[in-house]
Amino acid sequence: MPQPLTSIPLILLTIAAALSSVTALRRLGTPEGQRTGLTLQHTLVGVITLGCAAIFCFRWLILHESWQPLQAHVDGLLLIGTLLAGSILFIQARPRLFGLSAFALPLLTLILAWGICAALWTYRAFNLDSFQPVWIGFHTGSTYLGLLSCMIGAGAGAMYLFVQHRLKSKIHLPGTMPLASLETLETLIIRAATLGFVLLTLSLITGLIIVTQTVRETALGPSWWTSPKVWLATAAWATYALLLNVRYATSFRGRRAAWLAIGGLVLLLATYGAVEAIEGRAAREKATANTSAMIQPEARPCAS
Amino acid sequence: MRLLMLGFNHRTAPLELREALAFDPTRAINDLRGAYASSECAVLSTCNRTELYLARPAHDPPMVEDLRRFVAQQTSVKPDAVTTASIHREQEQAALHLFRVCTGLDSMVLGEPQILGQVKRAYEAADQLGSVGPVLHRLFQGAITAAKQARAQTGIDQGRTSISSVAVDFARNIFDHFHDKTVLFIGAGEMIKTTVHHMKRLDPGKMWIINRSLDNAAALAQTLDLNGAARGARAWDDLEELLVEADIVVSCTAANEPILTAARFKPLVRRRRNRPLFLIDMAMPRDIEPRVGSFNNVYLYNLDDLLKTVEATTQGRRDQVGACEAILADHVERCMGEIRHRDVGRLVKQLRTRLADIAQAEHDRTARKLAALNGSAEEAHLEKLLQQHNHRLINKILHLPLSQLDRRDPDASLGFYAAALRRLFDLHDQPDMPAEATTEEKTENG
Repeated sequence: MPQPLTSIPLILLTIAAALSSVTALRRLGTPEGQRTGLTLQHTLVGVITLGCAAIFCFRWLILHESWQPLQAHVDGLLLIGTLLAGSILFIQARPRLFGLSAFALPLLTLILAWGICAALWTYRAFNLDSFQPVWIGFHTGSTYLGLLSCMIGAGAGAMYLFVQHRLKSKIHLPGTMPLASLETLETLIIRAATLGFVLLTLSLITGLIIVTQTVRETALGPSWWTSPKVWLATAAWATYALLLNVRYATSFRGRRAAWLAIGGLVLLLATYGAVEAIEGRAAREKATANTSAMIQPEARPCAS
Repeated sequence: MRLLMLGFNHRTAPLELREALAFDPTRAINDLRGAYASSECAVLSTCNRTELYLARPAHDPPMVEDLRRFVAQQTSVKPDAVTTASIHREQEQAALHLFRVCTGLDSMVLGEPQILGQVKRAYEAADQLGSVGPVLHRLFQGAITAAKQARAQTGIDQGRTSISSVAVDFARNIFDHFHDKTVLFIGAGEMIKTTVHHMKRLDPGKMWIINRSLDNAAALAQTLDLNGAARGARAWDDLEELLVEADIVVSCTAANEPILTAARFKPLVRRRRNRPLFLIDMAMPRDIEPRVGSFNNVYLYNLDDLLKTVEATTQGRRDQVGACEAILADHVERCMGEIRHRDVGRLVKQLRTRLADIAQAEHDRTARKLAALNGSAEEAHLEKLLQQHNHRLINKILHLPLSQLDRRDPDASLGFYAAALRRLFDLHDQPDMPAEATTEEKTENG
């Protein structure tokens, strides 16, 4: 498979995302009148949106005929990149969400950088033969979209902490960029967490179905319930379940809700890290077994 | 045309005199048009300034003294007082003054944005009365454009410069919408009154005024039109209940001890379910203990914090004055250049018309004489007639400028006119040589 055709454009898009992050962060502290780079920022995010979508379509249409949606992690990350960049374009045009793009763009950079790693180091297509692709579709789709939602929530959480710090420290320099209000950000955190919670629930249920139906074929093996991936995913789910109740709980409002949104994302990212580690180990074990037997082609690990 | 500005503002006249010097712009424009029909005029009248802008033909009235007398007549203020309190500017300086006024550089609050709208309205009013001609059109349009550019490029009108409006701005950083919010005002003084005015613009769901004297609170609520189920005055005993309900609290009382201490507020936090609370303490000494601000989701701002923001805004605006002046200077130069070019164009047209009239008159006179001639015998006479025609034509064309030069007017700047004539007719400034010397030179040169 011609990986350079995926990874080289991804590297360029990551550089563009990093550049737009720097531009957006610089604009945050620049007084009115001296603030420049908005057009550059819009252009870069537009290019990233189109670029990610183009690579996704390229992999789908050109790379190989048997491609199925979200076949490898790099596909999922490209999908998240496209949707996140599109969301940032939308956010940039919303006066009530001023400044949020400065917190979402570094996340986009992180996702694209991860996409490079997924394309270069851990590229493996999921094994779709052993169980029904419909469950895989549900599982990976809801996981990636849930991650996207949680990323927006975490970005809003980071911005909430920033705005709150400015208000508590009474740093309100005239002419600095007007930012979204704390109330708007809290609402966004709750909405993003609600959507993320629903999608993660779907992801957990479908993952459970896949694991229990195909215990032997999956990388997790028979003792799947002891896997860090399962525990981390459950912890992330529980965090978002808690986050949903901040409006009704007196102790989880404001700053704590923002920290919960960020913590939930960290747990999700750790879950993804665990997936990579477990699948990598499983792939290596399989490869070793294949080399010693020298009879079978390389088996591909599954998504869950 | 010459531009002229006569005005009074907060720098030149105290409030009482400014009040006495304020006059009805419509009547003033109509009276000016009646007295000086060939002039264009506009009147800018705001709470801080009254200014007359005129464009008059170069040698026609009104002069500055005429305008001062006019103002004295309009306002019944003594002419001496008018002279003392007024400033006047001409040409570039008049244009620059208007451009600076539009940009807010001449305002009491530097960079304030309202003045631009007031200038626009003054210009439109004068235009509707038909007193604005091409010069003032160009001047006012140029001033408005320049002010917009300067404001956009330097941000000199950014930020708030009053304590109450800064407090409202801070509230916008915490809350997104206010229709479901409760604002509590503690006190019934002037600061509370001003802040209620600003807060009303946010259209909060509930607004309560609380004061130790319920009568004073009720009177203030009545004055500010705070009536209804969700607005009005409340008794002092309701303070804790209102602190639980409120999202924004503005306090400014004359109490010597803090009204709201951390110990008093702590039990209310749980009852408030940790909802964000914005506390604005405008009192001196303070009404709210600083430790209250350390509670989670509580944002406490006192008078110093608000003043710091006001001062920072003002300083930020001061820093932009130089950049604004540079932009305005460029616009003034362009505007005055266009006005002068237009003047020169009109002058050339008038000159052509005048010369054409002279030529036509001489043509008619010579034609009448030629009609009386017949035959080739009178060729010599014909030649003489043509010479006389040319002579008269030249004499008549030169009569006006030379008679101006010859006038014994002590104020006439002869040197300027002479230089202008030399330049316009490309005449070199050579000393007169005696006829003999010239002959000798010719001989020597040979």
